[in-house]
Amino acid sequence: MLNRKIGLLCTAVAGVVLLSACGQNEDSEAASDSAGDAGAAVLANGMTVADQVKLRHDALEDIGDALKGAGDQLKSGSPDMAVIQAAAASIVEKSKGMEDWFPEGTGPDSGVETDALAVIWEDNPDFLTKVSDMQGAAAKFNEVAQGGDAAAIGGAMKELGGTCKSCHDKYRKDDD
Amino acid sequence: MTTSPEHHVVWDWTVRLVHWLMVILVLLLWWTAEEGMMDWHKRCGLTMLGLVIFRIIWGFTGSWTARFVPMFRRLGSLGSYVRDLKNGSHKPVFGHGPLGILSVFALLGALSVQVGTGLFSVDVDGLESGPLAIWVSFSTGRDIADIHELNFDILSTLISLHVAAILVYQFILKDNLIPPMVTGKRPVSDFAASTVPTITAGFWAFVLSAGIASGSVYAVLHAG
Repeated sequence: MLNRKIGLLCTAVAGVVLLSACGQNEDSEAASDSAGDAGAAVLANGMTVADQVKLRHDALEDIGDALKGAGDQLKSGSPDMAVIQAAAASIVEKSKGMEDWFPEGTGPDSGVETDALAVIWEDNPDFLTKVSDMQGAAAKFNEVAQGGDAAAIGGAMKELGGTCKSCHDKYRKDDD
Repeated sequence: MTTSPEHHVVWDWTVRLVHWLMVILVLLLWWTAEEGMMDWHKRCGLTMLGLVIFRIIWGFTGSWTARFVPMFRRLGSLGSYVRDLKNGSHKPVFGHGPLGILSVFALLGALSVQVGTGLFSVDVDGLESGPLAIWVSFSTGRDIADIHELNFDILSTLISLHVAAILVYQFILKDNLIPPMVTGKRPVSDFAASTVPTITAGFWAFVLSAGIASGSVYAVLHAG
């Protein structure tokens, strides 16, 4: 009698525990099934949906990479200004045209796997403002980087990172 | 460590202190991450790093119930232990029983992975990163951050199972496990065997273990 009680209780508890743990990442499976055909649709700019998504994903990753590189320099005892300046310049370069990277039809219901959220098109004017904020902060970071003043560079970098974050908070799928 | 006629000391003070500090830190670490308070998340993470390193070293230098080798040996009795649980003849064990030992390794393992990946994680904006992330690329740091997040689900599942098991032991098996984790003591009458090891937490063992743990945290703080 006692073992049955224990057995039932353990099973019930294990069930609840597993349900709660599994409930965390429900939306990660979203629209990745029909990626093959859907990605082939051609956009007004001549690119396929799949190519557009990949282009912006790669560019944004490169930007993150550059920002990390600059940040790592500042964290070290003796920052290499050349590395920071190169990173700052590349961020300006890589973010050119970002306002055109998210045409209609390249969102989550395009069938292609993307971290872009539908709200980008629902709130498009605000999204585009955030894009231009980022580009402005990147230009400022680039300018400050030429000066070689670590403290000022740190400040400009933080501002730039802030623009990244404020867009991501609303328009990017939360995977962390 | 003295043993009064009525009580045995089962858990030395460092085991108990580290255990409860880990409980508090896990909650703080989860909450600071949820709220984006990364400064505090890092401070708590480094503290947890120190505790984990200490506990692993203490598993070789500490009192008998803290040591890993006796735990490994006790795993051999897992089969008979589970049989006793099933046919209602469970008796309290001095230190971790074999099921508890599996739990110790699983939890310590998951916690180590959590802290370890945290050291190298990079966030999506490239702005916030762990103290050792300077040694990995952005892309690697992002992958490690993904593991850091996934592993937290594993860790919290294990913690839930641990809490559930303790409740089952406490209220259904009537095996009093919670008070001893605070006071360290259990009544002599709890144990069938007449000889139980006298556990001692050596002073110099503690100094050495704490020294290595603190030194490691210091090294991480000054990396790169």
